Amino acid sequence: MKLQIKRLISQIVLFFSANLGYQGYPGLKTGFCYPFFYCQACPAATSACPLRSLEQSVDKGSFAWRLFLYPFLIIGFLGVLTGRAVCSWACPIGLLQRGTGRVARKFKRLPIARKFGTHKTEKYFRYIKYILLVSFVFVTSYLIGFIFTDICPVGFLTGTIPTLLLNPGKFVPNYFFPIALVLFILFIVLIFLIERGWCRYFCPVGALLGPFNKISFLHISVNTKQCIHCNVCSYECPMGIDVPNMHRDPECILCGKCVTACPNRLITFERR
Amino acid sequence: MKKIVALQVCALLLVSGTLGGMFAFTTVYDEIRSGIVLVLCLSCLKLEPKTTAVFTFETVDNVPHPEFILANLSEGPVFLHYSGDACAGCDVMYPVIKDLFLIEFGKQDMYHTLVSFENATVAYIYVNIHHTVDELRDAQPIYDKDRVGGIPMFNIITLGYDNGKVKPKYTTLYGTLTTYGATTDGQRLDFLQQLVRESIQMYNQNEAGYPHH
Repeated sequence: MKLQIKRLISQIVLFFSANLGYQGYPGLKTGFCYPFFYCQACPAATSACPLRSLEQSVDKGSFAWRLFLYPFLIIGFLGVLTGRAVCSWACPIGLLQRGTGRVARKFKRLPIARKFGTHKTEKYFRYIKYILLVSFVFVTSYLIGFIFTDICPVGFLTGTIPTLLLNPGKFVPNYFFPIALVLFILFIVLIFLIERGWCRYFCPVGALLGPFNKISFLHISVNTKQCIHCNVCSYECPMGIDVPNMHRDPECILCGKCVTACPNRLITFERR
Repeated sequence: MKKIVALQVCALLLVSGTLGGMFAFTTVYDEIRSGIVLVLCLSCLKLEPKTTAVFTFETVDNVPHPEFILANLSEGPVFLHYSGDACAGCDVMYPVIKDLFLIEFGKQDMYHTLVSFENATVAYIYVNIHHTVDELRDAQPIYDKDRVGGIPMFNIITLGYDNGKVKPKYTTLYGTLTTYGATTDGQRLDFLQQLVRESIQMYNQNEAGYPHH
């Protein structure tokens, strides 16, 4: 079976397994944290968003070490084994972006998109997700009690919208709704304009997983000695990585597109 | 190459060992399940439930009233307040409740007191869902009248007359009360005062027929 078909099956299966919590069908509500970005406010969610646990651990100057350590360890366990593969093989938001990727790839051909993609400052934009993680998940939660999940666009997509659809007339928007709606619209525009735009620039869970690429058992390896630098792999890469020159890049989501695309089979998955 | 393998093995052992230890020796799994997955923070949902404040006899799934509620009902109406950490809606309601009963308590405390409200006694019970005991946490779904499953949530339990019998009667309010027309702290306070007055009136009418615990 082709690698990308396997990945699609994995994404679909994990999407359904992340949604086994709908009341009575089968109503599986666990005490795990998702190792990817998904909201516990989804009516069918089985687990908690790791960011919610982290925010709660440092709420208004308090420190609950268990809630702090737990999501780190769940993410760390998968991170050490597979690096950021969770983003491309398991995350439902990754699955969504796989769907919008086709449109985004068309925009990629536009001169302005090319200019931005190859601009020397582009790599610095990728640090936004780390800044988001530190500032809106930890710092504001700790200092003023403002938490990222109150305005989270992914929470809006997976929690607010399904709740409104499943309970028509039962809920009305609260004061965070307008801000979250604006961010949600920007999120949708982003993922249609830039392939994996959310994963590249904004995903705080990706920021947690990314550093594990440096030590993960599973990683992508390029045979640089025989590489002819045709750059097909870089063009195919949804994360816009310069694949021939990467080594355990924190941005790599191990989707394997470069592995499939390389005409000389010089890019492979390595297991140590 | 050997260095990285050693690092990987050490990291895996450390992470899996600590995670296994947390599952085995801490209550973190239950804390996440009961405090985040089962009970939602309504401000995270970005929604407020549209419910009515009518009093009813029927608990969710007809589960009997918990013993601590029945015991407190001997003193007066019970005001059960569910709150939580990292919950913006809870933070909005916290000072309103303090003003309502003229009391002081910490947000992460377990707090229970008998308060005097306009010369009547009200049993006030504060439950921070993330810092409480099972008995109090387990009562939350019993009074989740509209099956919202979210905090902040307020229950006012009083006495009512039903088919020749005096029984506990309750109502449940959710969120920051905007759906009840209360958008400022003053309006929230007025709304709650009115509801507490109503519950006291019902209590006084039916108290004589209530078998005291």
